[in-house]
Amino acid sequence: MATTLNHTNRVGRYIGRSLPRREDSALLQGAATFVGDIVLPGQLYAVFYRSPHAHAYLRRVNLDAVRALPGVALALCGDDLPRYVKRMSPFPFQHRDPFQAGNPRINFHDRYGLAREKVRYQGEPVALIVAEDPYLAEDALEYVEADYEPLPPVLNAEAALQPDAPLLYPEWGENVAVRFHVSGGDVEAALAASEVVIEERLQHHRMTGTPLEPRGIVARYDPYTNVLQVWDSTQIPHVIAALLEDSFQEPANLKVHVIAPRIGGGFGQKWGFYPEEIVVPLAAILTRRPVKWIETRHEHMLATCHSREQTHYVTMGLKRDGTVLALKDTIYADLGDAYPVGGFASSISTTMYLPGAYKIQHYDCQLYGVVTNKTPFGAHRGFGKSEASFVIERMMDIAAARLGLDPAEIRFRNFIQPEDFPYVCVTGSRYDSGNYPAVLRRALELADYEAMRALQREKRARGELFGIGMCLVVEPSSSTRMGSYNSGYHSVTIRMDPTGQVHVASGSNDEGQGHWTAVAQLVAEELGVAPEQVLLHEGDSLQTPYGSGSYSSRFSVVVTSAVTMAARMLAAKIRRIAGHLLEVSPDDLELVDGRVQVRGNPSRGAELSQIAKSAYHRLYDLPPGEEPGLELTYHYRDPNIGFHADSRGRVPMFSAFPYDAEVAVVEIDRATGRLQILKFVSVHDCGNLLNPKIVEGQHMGALAHGIGGALLEELSYDEHGHLRNASFASYFLPTVLEIPEYTLDHCITPNPFTPGGYKGAGETGAVGPPPCLVNAVEDALRPLGIAVRRTPLTPYNLWAQLQAASRA
Amino acid sequence: MSERDPAALSPSVSAAEAPAERLTITVWVNGQAYTRTVPARLLLVDFLRNELGLTGTHIGCDTSTCGACTVHVDGRSVKACTMFAVQADGRAVRTVEGLAHPTEGGPGERELHPLQQAFHEAHALQCGYCTPGMLMSALYLLEHNPNPTRDEIKRAIAGNLCRCTGYHFIIDAIELAAARMRQQGDR
Repeated sequence: MATTLNHTNRVGRYIGRSLPRREDSALLQGAATFVGDIVLPGQLYAVFYRSPHAHAYLRRVNLDAVRALPGVALALCGDDLPRYVKRMSPFPFQHRDPFQAGNPRINFHDRYGLAREKVRYQGEPVALIVAEDPYLAEDALEYVEADYEPLPPVLNAEAALQPDAPLLYPEWGENVAVRFHVSGGDVEAALAASEVVIEERLQHHRMTGTPLEPRGIVARYDPYTNVLQVWDSTQIPHVIAALLEDSFQEPANLKVHVIAPRIGGGFGQKWGFYPEEIVVPLAAILTRRPVKWIETRHEHMLATCHSREQTHYVTMGLKRDGTVLALKDTIYADLGDAYPVGGFASSISTTMYLPGAYKIQHYDCQLYGVVTNKTPFGAHRGFGKSEASFVIERMMDIAAARLGLDPAEIRFRNFIQPEDFPYVCVTGSRYDSGNYPAVLRRALELADYEAMRALQREKRARGELFGIGMCLVVEPSSSTRMGSYNSGYHSVTIRMDPTGQVHVASGSNDEGQGHWTAVAQLVAEELGVAPEQVLLHEGDSLQTPYGSGSYSSRFSVVVTSAVTMAARMLAAKIRRIAGHLLEVSPDDLELVDGRVQVRGNPSRGAELSQIAKSAYHRLYDLPPGEEPGLELTYHYRDPNIGFHADSRGRVPMFSAFPYDAEVAVVEIDRATGRLQILKFVSVHDCGNLLNPKIVEGQHMGALAHGIGGALLEELSYDEHGHLRNASFASYFLPTVLEIPEYTLDHCITPNPFTPGGYKGAGETGAVGPPPCLVNAVEDALRPLGIAVRRTPLTPYNLWAQLQAASRA
Repeated sequence: MSERDPAALSPSVSAAEAPAERLTITVWVNGQAYTRTVPARLLLVDFLRNELGLTGTHIGCDTSTCGACTVHVDGRSVKACTMFAVQADGRAVRTVEGLAHPTEGGPGERELHPLQQAFHEAHALQCGYCTPGMLMSALYLLEHNPNPTRDEIKRAIAGNLCRCTGYHFIIDAIELAAARMRQQGDR
């Protein structure tokens, strides 16, 4: 039966198995090198003086007193920069009309790495100080003189659209940075034909991803070769190198080498081109000494991108039986000061994937990406699809309640069915594969759904607040964006050296996902070598072929594909050379246990190291026309994406479609608002599992992100535009005590478009908990008639809603 | 209007009044004595990282919240960003670098501490940035409670944030290490 859960993983000798991680040893012993651990001879230390105001004219910056301090080597303000650097480009796009059609319509403000004329958020970099010692550099901040003329701040997207709202960029004449529209079918006709129309205003609060290692940069300039070397805690070393080469007027023809060493988590926050990434390297060029900057956590909260804050005015049209006919949405995304971290690209993703797991044929979505006097909005695990999932999964529950349907039933009625895949959704993407009914059914079974509903009836009769919530979220992965640095392909160089050791070089980099282990498994599988013989080189813009880095779970989709295809090409070459030497057809040869040998006759063969020696050192061993060496580069083009939007804005931006069904059972203390998660079930499908243990770790980590986001984390601004909780002491991340026990299961529907069948495992879990838990809480509060419109679900927010209801 | 930034920066002293005072201290770190002359205001975590080059102890928050800088001082678990180096004068500090032991094996080969080995086997680390602090908090627990319940393990690491794993595999690893260390103790 098509709707049963498939557990069959693709398992080989190494793939599909939980090999222990090869990257652990140094990390466990405190011997791994993060950017903060790098010390270069003669190194100086940089700090940034940042705007204390959310919105003000910057009349004058005087650094004379700073420059006079002993130990200060350099001080720069915005007006010092134009001589050396160009304006920063609007990451991740390379030009102003990325879709080439005026949709999206974008207002740009090109800027330098330090503020000039105006400051637009608290924490915006205004001046740089470089000193001999980090403590001295921090002392020198006291001597910056900056004259401001404060302006009234604009603090949320809807207020920013009022006619009398102050303008961040008066030259635009408005606060809208980006407009985008996408539609399919005929939404107005379908709404008119609907038996029930539901209108809601739904909001997702502002939060951030908070990798435990803050950002950091060490830069060194060699004037003799004109090479700038930058160690950067970034997810995208090649892109940063290209952007930096493009950024300097002086020195001309600068060559940039970016190294991303061990990275202490990224989660999207390190996918961006930040002001510090230009200004610190400039300091190294000007001082001719290495310069190091390590972000403090306080700075991180103010100056590293925020995420998620959107307001939706959403309309859903249904038949009485729960069939969804139409979905229409207007989104106001609060981009903060918008650039240069790609938040508007994330909001465009929201518009593309709002229909979620459902066969919705009539759709219309208008996005307004609005600038406000808050920290720029950027990428974060889930990249806009988290907000899309939040809205569609909340609407399914709201509609079910309105129609008197079980929330599971309305989902079953509207799911894309297993036989519909590959399924082209209303916004143009081709969903690769899936089995949504089986996964939700399994999640309900694991949650003991019917028994929980019976228990709920008993508890409600006693006046207890007990709720059950669910969701099925789709988290499209491996993104490509027209005219951007996300380029829809990945390149890998593989080399078996003359001794038989295998080196793989990839323009991705690891922030904890286990790439070394995964690549060793893939290559060992194809070449018949031991995983210990394989080494991955990553995070280095000179050592690896150009690549757009790690984001959007693309490693599982395009990097594994490039590695596998490169290894297969290398295996074919080894077979050709061995076939020539052994006088057998290459097709009869297999690579096993470090040997190439005749299938069925293993004694007839050769050690791989012997073939390697022939390839490098005995060219007379090679078949006619064969190139020397065992090194090649494979460029893997993502087969399931598109580059050009049609006239209605539709374009397949993401390539693979992992998904997750979740069920949560919660109880709320009526007196205190305390929420307890009694059960949390997740049934996840990310295609084949390359390393099941790593996948489980990724998924549980992602769930913790989602649960923290749903229950605790909210960036809160006061009326002056000051961030109230710019530290871990006041921005509450989940500790081990907040994380529930999980019941987990997997369904496996392999991705048909890639050699390994992988879809990406790291983000789906972060997307489900907000709608799942809000649905559960609303279910618990239903006897009181409380509609949950305020997140996160902190005890205070719940208590306040309970109080309001009891007063009413 | 001319002003300095009180909210974002707030150092308690300016450079001119900065404590110029330097003190000579001796700190025993992982069994070895280090004598250094350091500024009175130098944090212990900066002393370990910058003066001694022991960069396994990490900084994640500056507010004693995340626990990445956890070390032991005279056997007590301490967040090294919350203590001055001079307060460690004459004391014994243990850091993550002091957990594994050299072996008779290959050059530079070290035998992992049972906690490190269990973290590896149970996949209790991803980016590894929180791991040194987690290990030191777990070690402190097992030194005082060799047979902890899962709940006691949770309480012991509640002062250490991990953003990657979601914690479950860390709890598994500490349970596994505790069992092995008890067995070793029994032998």
